[in-house]
Amino acid sequence: MDKENKTSQRKDAKVVNWDELRRRMEKSRAALEHGLQPTTEEKNKTLKHRAQMLAVESKDNEAAEEYIEVVEFVLAHERYAIASQYVREVYPLVELTPIPCTPAFVLGIINVRGRILSVIDIKRFFDLPEKGLTDLNKVIILHSDDMDIGILADAVLGTHNVRLSELQAALPTLTGIREQYLKGVTKERVVVMDAARLLSDKNIIVHENV
Amino acid sequence: MKWFVNLTTQTKLTLIFGAAIALLVIVIITARMGISTIEKSQKGIFNFEFANTKDILEIKASEGDVRLALLMMMSVSERSDKERWHQNIKANSAEIDRIQQRLAERNKQEPSILRKLEEMNMLRLAFKETRDTQLIPFIYQGRIAEAKNLALGIQSERFEKIRSITAELVRGAEEEAQRRITESELEIRQIAGILVIVGAIAAFISIITALFLNRIIARPLTEISGAAEKIASGDLTVNVPNDNRVDEVGIMAQTFCRMVENLGKQIRDIMEAVNILASSSNQIASTAAQLASSTEQTAVAVTETTTTVEEVKQTVNLSSQKARHVSDVAQRSAQVFQFGERLVNETIDGITQIQEQMNYIAETIVRLSEHNQAIGEIIAAVDDLAEQSNLLAVNASIEAAKAGEYGKGFIVVAQEIKSLSEQSRQSTKQVRTILGDIQRASNAAVMATEKGSKAVEASIKQSAGTRDSIRELSKSIAEASQAAVQIAASSQQQMVGMDQVTLAMASIKQAAMQNAVSTKQVEATVKSLQEIGQKLKRLVEYYRA
Repeated sequence: MDKENKTSQRKDAKVVNWDELRRRMEKSRAALEHGLQPTTEEKNKTLKHRAQMLAVESKDNEAAEEYIEVVEFVLAHERYAIASQYVREVYPLVELTPIPCTPAFVLGIINVRGRILSVIDIKRFFDLPEKGLTDLNKVIILHSDDMDIGILADAVLGTHNVRLSELQAALPTLTGIREQYLKGVTKERVVVMDAARLLSDKNIIVHENV
Repeated sequence: MKWFVNLTTQTKLTLIFGAAIALLVIVIITARMGISTIEKSQKGIFNFEFANTKDILEIKASEGDVRLALLMMMSVSERSDKERWHQNIKANSAEIDRIQQRLAERNKQEPSILRKLEEMNMLRLAFKETRDTQLIPFIYQGRIAEAKNLALGIQSERFEKIRSITAELVRGAEEEAQRRITESELEIRQIAGILVIVGAIAAFISIITALFLNRIIARPLTEISGAAEKIASGDLTVNVPNDNRVDEVGIMAQTFCRMVENLGKQIRDIMEAVNILASSSNQIASTAAQLASSTEQTAVAVTETTTTVEEVKQTVNLSSQKARHVSDVAQRSAQVFQFGERLVNETIDGITQIQEQMNYIAETIVRLSEHNQAIGEIIAAVDDLAEQSNLLAVNASIEAAKAGEYGKGFIVVAQEIKSLSEQSRQSTKQVRTILGDIQRASNAAVMATEKGSKAVEASIKQSAGTRDSIRELSKSIAEASQAAVQIAASSQQQMVGMDQVTLAMASIKQAAMQNAVSTKQVEATVKSLQEIGQKLKRLVEYYRA
């Protein structure tokens, strides 16, 4: 008897309003049906936002003195940037073919629209410590007059304009080989790399006979 | 003499009387011998002298008859009468011959008598000769005178001679008899002498033994009877003579001695018993008094008990009614329980349906989950697209930067594309989060459904248990109903029993009243018992033990 009482009390405590439930279900169904097409209000909102964005951009241009455009990317939880004049394009890391008898920083080669590029892991090249596995699913393709190489990145964040005056000197913690390839660190602690040096480095060219 | 004293009285008497009887036998034999001698002599007298005398006298008489017949023959004239007398003569003559012969036979041993008899016989034969040859023919011829001569002459002489001889013989016989009688008298005198001597000896022995018996039997008996006399007068301190004899008298003395001892002991015992009797009767009297009071208490208790029984009866009546009521209630409850069982069965059916629904819900949720997975895959594809768009946007902006001043507007577009792709990624991330939430919710729902299903199973089990319980309860109630009916019946029996108890109480009351009466009687009886005890005490005190 006690048990029955208890169950009945529990039922009383949490009565399911089936009508409410059905109404909610219907609402969500309708939302699903119409949700794929944004309403006019939403469209207007988006357009307005874009307009504002464009307006901000024009202001920057006016104030521009001497700056470089960089491509910012994330590698091993650190943000790096490379001047976009050395970047030909970014590409997802697909169909990587490992090459045997190469230094550890050479991951392999990929085929980008008919061109064969070698892919290097600058983390290893800079002897950065391994901090767990990261995505490493992007390739930033650098190019110079001499050569084209791909460097691995976890994510490509986009392009920015960085004022040269804002660039700070390299951190004292960044020593050794990395110091050679650094241009500076921004206020947002983005490490700006010197792609020209990287590309002209003889270490990167592998001459090895096996 | 000791040995004789120790013989039994029977033996003593047998010995003494045996001696006396032996003497008596001697006397009898002696007398018998004397008497037989006398008898023999008298028999001799009778058979010999007396017979001889008798025969001779008969012969004499017959001769007389013959003479008379001859005279009659002579006197009568008729021939027939003569012949009749002649026949008489012949008969007498033959009689005489026979006697004569008997005499001769008897007196063969006596020569003197035999000689005389011979002489007499000669004379008689001569007489007979003369008579038959001469006299009788003369008579028949009628020669009476000659006959008379002859008869009065020679014949008469001869007759006289015969008569004298017979007289002689008779006299001799008498003398002989006289002699024999004298002999007998002598014998009798001798025997009488013997008898006197033997009798004197017997009398002497008898006196001696009588005195002796008196001394060994009568005197102790007298002493014992004297002691008995003393005992009769209440003196138990008497000294009974006791010389350790083993005959009846000795045994009697010893027995008497023991009897006196036992009597004394018994008197003492009786004395004690009388004392006990006195105290016991006192106790009985007090007990009777207690009994009387307890009887009164019993009467009171019986009255109380009767009242209580009345109350109990009312209670039993009430309990009977209650039991009937309980029985009715139990029957109604049984119906209710049947209804309840049906309800429980329906509940079980309902719960089973709920379980099916639960299963359906679980399946639906699993399907939803699968749909979720599909959505996730789609989202992954969208994510991939967004990524690629992002890359494209970056590339576009790089290209635009290369274009220099002309590409500035395009950079904005590229940035816009990039931000869109970014938004897409954000959206996909959100969708992924929502999908995760949905998945978790689905899991929770599945688990809840599972729990619900288990709860439903438990409920089914519980319901089954409830059903069983209801059945058990129903059974119990049926039993309770039966028990109530039985209680009602037994209450009825109790009522009857209580009535009987009331009756019994009434009889107990009556019995108590009778007890009271009886107790009074007992008191009276005890009083008389006490009096009897006193009397007995006085009686016993009479004896000086």
